[in-house]
Order: sequence, then C-alpha cells, then structure tokens
Amino acid sequence: MTANDMDVAQDQIGYLGQLVLGSRLSDMERLPVWVESLAATHGIAENVKFAINLCLEEVVSNVIRHGYRGKAEQLVTVQCTSPRAGYLVFTVDDDAAPFNPLAGTALPTIGEQDEGQIGGQGIRLLRGFAATLEYEARPAGNRLHIGFLNPARA
Amino acid sequence: MGIQTEELAPGINKVILDGSLDIAGAAAIDLRMNVIGGASKGLLVDLQKVTFIGSMGLRALVAPARAILGRKGKMVIFGPNELVEQVLKTSGIDTMIPVYHDYDAALAALQ
Repeated sequence: MTANDMDVAQDQIGYLGQLVLGSRLSDMERLPVWVESLAATHGIAENVKFAINLCLEEVVSNVIRHGYRGKAEQLVTVQCTSPRAGYLVFTVDDDAAPFNPLAGTALPTIGEQDEGQIGGQGIRLLRGFAATLEYEARPAGNRLHIGFLNPARA
Repeated sequence: MGIQTEELAPGINKVILDGSLDIAGAAAIDLRMNVIGGASKGLLVDLQKVTFIGSMGLRALVAPARAILGRKGKMVIFGPNELVEQVLKTSGIDTMIPVYHDYDAALAALQ
C-alpha cells in the first residue's frame, strides 16, 4: 500500500467492516485480529487502535459474561463505520436482556475499593478512552455505539 | 503472554510480563501472579514489554497487590508504556500500586 492509498483509505466514509462473534470468551481472540486488519487498511493510529481494543474487549466480554451468562450459540455483532473523515464508530449489537451500561454510576477507582471488591472499571475505562458513547435499546437486545477520533496523519 | 520471575532478595521478587494483557493474556498469568503475590513481601512488576492492558489484565495485578499490601508488603509497577500507564491511571490502580519509570527508584520503593 502506498502513502496515497493510505490517505484514500483513511478518508473512506461509510461502512468499513463487520465481525460476528459467538458467545464464548475464546471467540474474542478474533477481535484484536480484526481491529489490526481495519487499522492497516484504514490508517488507524496506534493510540486509537489501543483505545478501540480496550473498549471492545470490555463491552463484548461484558455481553458474553453478564448478558448471555454462558448461554451457547448466541451472537455479538460488531460493525465499524466512519460517518465522517477522522471519526470511527464501532456498533456492538447483542440479543441479551435489556441493559444500558451507560446508565449506572461508575464504581470507585480500584485504589478506592474495599477489600474483596475488584473490577467494575469498565464504564470508567469506556468513558476515558472513547470519544462518544451512545446506548440504544433494540426490540430484542442492545446496541452500543462507541466513537473514536482518528485524526488524519500529517 | 510471557511471564518470567526472578528473586531479587529473600521475599523480594521481580516479575517480567511480555505481551498483551487482554482476556487471554490475563488468564495465562493469573494463577502464577497469585502464587507470586502470596509468596512475596516485595514485588516489582516490569511492564516494559506489555503492549496492551484491559480490565482483566488489571485484575491480574490487583489480586496479588491486595495480598501483598494485606501483609504490609509493597508492590510496584515499572516501565509501562504511555497507553498502558493511561489505563492504570484511569482505573486508579496507580494509587494502590505506585508506577515508576526509574528502575532504581522502583527497587528502592520496595525497601
């Protein structure tokens, strides 16, 4: 890919790709591979790729562990679009019971938590690393839009 | 995910992690980190070669830290890259496990 090809790919608007995962945590190994492929094709900056991996790992693992609660043969769909240049949106769809992860208050930071309480950092990490977050209840499931700024390379 | 351990002094250990501390990486080191945490009064965790950390990776660090701090010991993190450090700070883990970029200072903090 030449520098010019990269410029064109980075400015591509609209649908960029989709990944359909099963409801096993082991299926998540495909997520960073897919993100890496998108990053190579669409010129996603290293720090943005890191943030995307962090947020998708958090959201998809929560759907599998808490939304589907070990139920087999369920699906999680992640779609990547670019509504405008320099802005990427990952949309995560599931068929689990309605749950808005953005509605709750963030738990104390790890350093502030009581003995025996570990975790609950998901929403704090999402808010810290995503540019935008939007939840949508679907008739039979949930949809979360996670946006990232991907400024054009100099 | 790679994990190497080294005893620096009796009860003072160093762990070098290498790779991605995602769900799979965290699962790969979890048990060993807990064992090391249970056997250390001082622990230096070298994150120089860690390229990614998610919330399960944070758990893999917090569990041994709680065990060590519960025994009045100390645990420090050494050398995370900028993005990994941003995750540590966003989660607040750095208030429980101090982060150092100077190796001698990290070692001194365990004394």
